[in-house]
Amino acid sequence: MVQTEAALEAYNAYWANSPLPAADILWMVVILIVAILALWQARVFVSKF
Amino acid sequence: MDLKALQKQERQKRVKYGYMWALFCAVLWGLWYLPGTAVWVLNPFDEMYGEIAAGSGDGVALVVVAVLITAFNALTVILALMVWNGTLGKLGEMKRTLKEIKPCTKWFFLASIFGGPIAILGSFMAMGFVGGAFAAVAALLYPVVGSALAAKWYGEKISKRAFAGIVIIILGGITIFGGGVLTELGSGNVMWLGYLGGLMAATGWGIEGAIAGKGLDIAEPDIGITLRFLGENIIWWIIIVPVLAIAGFPMFKYALLVFEPLVLLVLVFAGITFGFCYVSWYKSFPLIGVGRGQGIANLYGLFAVISIYLFFGDVPSWTIIVGGALCLIGSTVMFSEDTGEIESLRGD
Repeated sequence: MVQTEAALEAYNAYWANSPLPAADILWMVVILIVAILALWQARVFVSKF
Repeated sequence: MDLKALQKQERQKRVKYGYMWALFCAVLWGLWYLPGTAVWVLNPFDEMYGEIAAGSGDGVALVVVAVLITAFNALTVILALMVWNGTLGKLGEMKRTLKEIKPCTKWFFLASIFGGPIAILGSFMAMGFVGGAFAAVAALLYPVVGSALAAKWYGEKISKRAFAGIVIIILGGITIFGGGVLTELGSGNVMWLGYLGGLMAATGWGIEGAIAGKGLDIAEPDIGITLRFLGENIIWWIIIVPVLAIAGFPMFKYALLVFEPLVLLVLVFAGITFGFCYVSWYKSFPLIGVGRGQGIANLYGLFAVISIYLFFGDVPSWTIIVGGALCLIGSTVMFSEDTGEIESLRGD
């Protein structure tokens, strides 16, 4: 289902007031960084225990 | 180095990792609120809400749309956990554990009943019939249920210091969401179904933790949580979604409309945060115990507020700052506990 103009407007409005630049992309980058960090720590954990 | 010193060093390492996993859980849980909130305004969920609300009212629409979103969330969580287990080289272990129904798989399937349709649905009911702040406060009480059950059932020890830390973190969470709760309760329009939902959230997650602790006696946390979500997917996709479709709600019509890049992207990020958060939660239990793991994971309230401020720009009020300070004090009380206190997690 294609997003309607109203749905896209409501979605973009979430990130519009963020104090961070490009918040609509940055949130995904932050999640990926934390997720990769967790996965890396899980590998370290497996090697230690 | 003598044996005692080696044992102490090993114990310190385990406790350090246990707290680290509980903290990863809290950070990822807090980040989950970003895709978890944004997905509601996207189609097909937005149109689905409108269609159901027009016929059955806003309360019913909220719960039914929540069921479909949660079902998709469970699906993307399984994908994220496959990546997690694949990276750690544990897919073979998963097959082996799945076959052992009696000693371990049954515990994780049971955990999925309490964590999925009871806790998550209860949380959405509390949100829909009372409000988001009430739902958050109700859920914060789950470590009390979890640690009490773990102590009663298999004698998990909880020191006075750890208990004090859990209580301070809960008080911090209540302060964070307190203002909102008073407004919601003061509206005088509260339905008993909302309170029931709050009770379902607190008991559901608490019981899930205690049951998972039992299953984790013999299974790996990474595998245990994947089986728990396999169980949750069966509950949503084989039982609840078809039952709602038979009851006349347009479940499959809108489920088939989900294949759109933006909504799929948001659902995938919800799956990564929720899946990795849950696996971290389960990994903390055998290392520091269910009570401590759930207590530190309760910092998600603080991380949710920080994520929402950073990315949605919602400025926190003074109650949130006071509550956040209480959360930090509570976690410091727990982190600074002498590891000798956690020498044995069980009383036996």
